[in-house]
Amino acid sequence: MTIDNSTESIHTVEGGGKKRGAAAWISSVFENKYIGLVALAIALLMPFLIATPYAINIMTTAAIFVVLAAGLNIVVGYCGLLDLGYIAFLAVGAYTAGIIAKAFELPVLFTLPAVVIMCILAGLIIGAPTLRLRSDYLAIVTLGFGEITRITANNLTITGGPSGIYNIPGFLSIGGIDFQNPIIFYYLTVLIVAGLVLAAARLGKSRLGRAWKFVKEDEDAAEAMGIHTYKVKLLAYIFGAVWGGFGGMLFASHLTAISPMSFVFLQSALVLMAVVLGGMGNMKGVVLGALAISLLPELLRDFAAYRYLLFGLLLVVVMVFRPQGLWPPRGAEAERTKAQREAAAFANGLKK
Amino acid sequence: MNSRKRTLGMLGVATAVLLATSACSGGLLGGGGGDKTDSGPIIIGMIVPTSGSSAPTGASMANGAKMAVDEINKAGGILDGRKLELQIADGACDAQQAVASANKLVSSGVVISVGGYCSGATLPTLPIFDKAGIPMIIPAANSQDLVKEGLKSVFLINGTGLQQSTAALTFIKKQGYKAVALVDDNTSYSVDITTETKKQIEADGTSKVVLKTSVNAGESDYSSAVRDIMGSGADLLYWTGYYQEGGLIIDQLRKAGYTGDIMVADGSADPTLATIAGPAAEGVYATMTPTPNTIKGAEGWIADYKAAFGDDPKPYSTQSYDAVRLAAAAFTAAGNTKTDDVIKALEGIKDFDAFSGPLSFTPEHTLANGGFVILVMKDGDFQLFDNLQ
Amino acid sequence: MAQFISDIPQVFWDGLFVGSFYALIALGYSMVYGIIKLLNFAHGDIYMVGAFIGYTILTAIGGTFHMLGLFALIIVMMISMLITGVIGVVVEKLAYQPLRGAPRLAVLITAVGASFALEYGVAAIASPNPRGFPVRLDGDFVLVLGARVTIPQIILMLIAGALMIALDTYIRRTSTGRAMRAISLDMKGSLLMGVKVNAVISRTFFIGSALAGAAGVMAGAYYGKIDFLMGFIIGLKAFTAAVIGGIGNIRGAMLGGLVLGLVESFGSELVGGQWRDAFAFAVLILFLTLRPTGILGERVTERV
Repeated sequence: MTIDNSTESIHTVEGGGKKRGAAAWISSVFENKYIGLVALAIALLMPFLIATPYAINIMTTAAIFVVLAAGLNIVVGYCGLLDLGYIAFLAVGAYTAGIIAKAFELPVLFTLPAVVIMCILAGLIIGAPTLRLRSDYLAIVTLGFGEITRITANNLTITGGPSGIYNIPGFLSIGGIDFQNPIIFYYLTVLIVAGLVLAAARLGKSRLGRAWKFVKEDEDAAEAMGIHTYKVKLLAYIFGAVWGGFGGMLFASHLTAISPMSFVFLQSALVLMAVVLGGMGNMKGVVLGALAISLLPELLRDFAAYRYLLFGLLLVVVMVFRPQGLWPPRGAEAERTKAQREAAAFANGLKK
Repeated sequence: MNSRKRTLGMLGVATAVLLATSACSGGLLGGGGGDKTDSGPIIIGMIVPTSGSSAPTGASMANGAKMAVDEINKAGGILDGRKLELQIADGACDAQQAVASANKLVSSGVVISVGGYCSGATLPTLPIFDKAGIPMIIPAANSQDLVKEGLKSVFLINGTGLQQSTAALTFIKKQGYKAVALVDDNTSYSVDITTETKKQIEADGTSKVVLKTSVNAGESDYSSAVRDIMGSGADLLYWTGYYQEGGLIIDQLRKAGYTGDIMVADGSADPTLATIAGPAAEGVYATMTPTPNTIKGAEGWIADYKAAFGDDPKPYSTQSYDAVRLAAAAFTAAGNTKTDDVIKALEGIKDFDAFSGPLSFTPEHTLANGGFVILVMKDGDFQLFDNLQ
Repeated sequence: MAQFISDIPQVFWDGLFVGSFYALIALGYSMVYGIIKLLNFAHGDIYMVGAFIGYTILTAIGGTFHMLGLFALIIVMMISMLITGVIGVVVEKLAYQPLRGAPRLAVLITAVGASFALEYGVAAIASPNPRGFPVRLDGDFVLVLGARVTIPQIILMLIAGALMIALDTYIRRTSTGRAMRAISLDMKGSLLMGVKVNAVISRTFFIGSALAGAAGVMAGAYYGKIDFLMGFIIGLKAFTAAVIGGIGNIRGAMLGGLVLGLVESFGSELVGGQWRDAFAFAVLILFLTLRPTGILGERVTERV
């Protein structure tokens, strides 16, 4: 808590002069501690506003996407490890849930322990050999793992081959309340997602979370200060994997059918986009980014052809003008401007 | 404390706004919308890929459906002058996208669905339409999986993988091929056909399957498949994937000196196959339902299509066209758009005049007569070779 | 097994041929990485852009081509190389240069963004449909030790070889080449010693992109089909090749390309073609964990 306060004071000193009037109000609203509660309240009240199957469906999809973004935020935002194959964990979670639920005719919820175990294993298998690598090698290797996961799912019999798994049993059903009812399932998803987002945010503020941030800022210094960087990175990876697995479980019971086509590289890139746009490391921003990425295409269906072109250009523009993301975490501002100053000075030096 | 007050204020405002707007829309408090009405236009839904790599096929299917809707409306509509209205939603050949689109169509009050191209993306939409009481006439997707669950509301008007492989076997026996190589592209639909064909050839026993293998879609170099085929000593290659890869494989196979015959399944029965494979595509056979240019008397239809959309009809344009007409016929026979009546009417359809021949359904809701014929590639276009009758 | 042994020459040749494409693209990855330690994700897409430019030129000149034959194809290839080279420089100026010195994560994400923008930009302009290349290299095959070797394959291998030798000479013999090597050793130092760093980096991008563009045109003419996503997988493979050879090392990239081609070819012969990509990535992961410096690479340390 003390650390939080001190960064806040730095923040106000640095940024106080710039923000006035409406901007200050908006920023204070977003920095408000209860913004999460307000967002949850809006999510819970949404079905009272529109309850068409379509609206409920895209809101559920968006909520699942938020979990993915929150999970990837642990890996990329907190720990600074670029993972381009994150969708593999969604696949592991979804396939584990789907296969077990279908084979034993269990409600999907009961597959939870298996999903968590499989995701931890997947995180270990992918993370253990790769996390000693240089950061940009890691990006490519994770991409490779993502593709291997998809190709494997496509070629094995247990995963249903290219047609995947369909008719996955419902999420849960107790005494006449079928949780597969879209609206009930939406509420359930929102609550699970809210819990996971909160947990991820807490994790970011914990001792481990501070270690992650240290590793992200300067790995060598972190190592020198006695942080076991490999272990810390592996933990970030495993947490990310478990969040992805939760997403996969919800994904499987929401769609009732999964196939390898849902786990292509493009999906990994979309989750990354949400994390980057939202501001790597800032959970509130990432949630907002995830909602934007998953809901905007629904609202702008006519621009479907230009969607990915736009996303690509946005990534470049955001990185060039605001490498910390649109809504970066508090406290990072000071260091960042320094990094930018250095970059600018270096570039100027090159021009002369 | 100031911030808590503001939070409560915000919460209050948010709640008030949401509740106020919910009163006049389809929210939980506002009562359900989208009831089936007995007047006004009849809304027909169609999920086809309009983005992604299958977008061109999706567009040609949508055109076929539009044409049928326009024709029916011009003739005064059905059920005492009610007009048809077509709503197209993007399935992108992706499960998630297709489910979103299915829900969208359900929300906009469609009474029948006439879409479905990629089997993998069509599967998860079945329970959504079924629960909403919307019968489905699926024009292109033809995986056996679609009818495995026995949903009453699902009707396939494209021959299934089983029917296609039966046609393939008939042709193999007719031509006297001895050694058949089966190659698929590892997608649901394609594997379905190779698996069924292998089973049938082995049960029949007059010829042999010397190779069954898969390739990855999206690559350029298929030398490994070419080696396998050359090494297997096959006198017929049956390729069951899509034309993009099919064209490359045929070209590379011929360049490597393969002298046997080549046959492709309906996913490759597209003139683009010749653009990709070049001269190597000449003489390639295809198992396919009749396409407009192979049907006598369809010249007028093709001209109309060209005039309306400025493009040649593609293989599934006809099936989409027929799906809409079939839907209209079922509504007329049922006398209304109620789910059970429409399903009963579809089950009772006898020898409906479709491009693929007289159409009736089996108890499993697949085509009684698969209607597959053998086409051959001649001068860059597929023509009728053998109607297998 | 007997089948496999008699197939070996063919498997070898097929691998070598695909490998030469990998090598040509891997060069661009390796040069850029060697000099500014940037993993240029968009590089595979430059290959795709090259194929589309070749397609556009060939379609525009239409029927006259067939009278001119191979010579004209080489001219078209050179024009495409010029244009893709310029596109590579523009991408560098717009997307990468402003971020020089910024955190690596930011640069990597920019590269992913640039790749998307190129892919879907082409899809938006040229429609997502695959195109048949207007010109294709046809020719008979000759049997060499039991392997079918086609004339177009030999021609393309010769062109690729010539381009690689030219590049190798350029880097080893000219002052620009020397400047490139200097920058890769110590950028700030080179700057202080009067090397025009930005100009040299631009030139690196130009050369790398031109080579990828050449590969794109060659692939179009040989395989006969192009589409806007054709650069994605081959880009990853080329990166793998660069890593296998030792990233930053020019001759390593060439070697890595050929090795990867062979490994894939033998791998898919043994375990089945549908596992080919999985096999290539598994090799990449193995190399990165067991020998991250590649076959010819020197010891590399993380830049702080």
